[in-house]
Amino acid sequence: MSLGKYLALDKLSNFFNIIKQNGGIRASLYKMYRQDELKDGVLVGEDKFGNKYYENPRYFYGSNRWVEYSDKYNMDYDGSQVPAEWFGWLHYKTDLPPHMDPSRPKYKWMIEFTENMSGTTGQYTPYSTTRPKVEPWIPKRKSNA
Amino acid sequence: MQAIKALGAKAPSTVLNVLKKGAFAPVVGQLRQTHLPAPNPNERRPYSPFQDTNNMAEYAVARLDDLLNWGRKNSMWPMTFGLACCAVEMMHIAAPRYDMDRFGVVFRASPRQSDVMIVAGTLTNKMAPALRKVYDQMPDPRWVISMGSCANGGGYYHYSYSVVRGCDRIVPVDIYVPGCPPSAEALMYGILQLQKKVKRMKTVQIWYRK
Repeated sequence: MSLGKYLALDKLSNFFNIIKQNGGIRASLYKMYRQDELKDGVLVGEDKFGNKYYENPRYFYGSNRWVEYSDKYNMDYDGSQVPAEWFGWLHYKTDLPPHMDPSRPKYKWMIEFTENMSGTTGQYTPYSTTRPKVEPWIPKRKSNA
Repeated sequence: MQAIKALGAKAPSTVLNVLKKGAFAPVVGQLRQTHLPAPNPNERRPYSPFQDTNNMAEYAVARLDDLLNWGRKNSMWPMTFGLACCAVEMMHIAAPRYDMDRFGVVFRASPRQSDVMIVAGTLTNKMAPALRKVYDQMPDPRWVISMGSCANGGGYYHYSYSVVRGCDRIVPVDIYVPGCPPSAEALMYGILQLQKKVKRMKTVQIWYRK
């Protein structure tokens, strides 16, 4: 073990390295505000929405892969914005990110990924395809006015 | 709604008939009033959902609403209503791994000081009056998270003689968390969804419009 590591000076160098990688003190503070976390890592890839995926094996398994949501999401990011292609890598189902995995099926019937639309007009609303058992009462208007 | 629209010509004629008769009209109308337009994934999202203000006064009340919602969504104290095994998962989100405290969600064992009730587990007929009473004791901006299949719609006990088929028969529910039991992550996501819902509340704006 080197002397620097013995005196825990590598923690200090890590700290400065993290701030440098995140783009200085201002940008680091903004990232802390936005995602409550400041890490250094290797940029593994970026998806079509602009989310960036990082990896750093120094962190413990389970927190060594992470996503930084695209800046345009601002504070409105949530877990459903990770597209299906990256989900498997992020959750350790596979070690190959989508652009390095040649065996991913791509069919033309696959639909575009959408985030969770609940609470917007795009949300899924269940509807029945069978004949309704109840005839709804629609009151007649008294006049055509 | 957009699914129905997109379905268009492909929809079976019975569905179109029902649509034409206006069976869905109240639902559609309500959706348009209470829901935000569907987000465009390539558009920058501002913090506030209230962007279409026409004059100074509307702008002012919109910002007041933002402030009020910010305060409300960042300190939601749940009334714990642990009824069955889901309560164990509810305990997990309080534990360090999921740590709901970082979102300002702190368990409060008194209905008088809590904002949100998490109904975790099977609601039996015998428990239903107690649930309603606790809900009635909560102060007014109050929300309900229904957690797990049993609370959502009876779940496994749907055909039981002694179980309420969904706690939405007793109290109005804001967020349904599916699962049997839902994982702690799922409940956490439900809480985040509730925060989003609280963020678009229009308390001051509705007062101003009146």
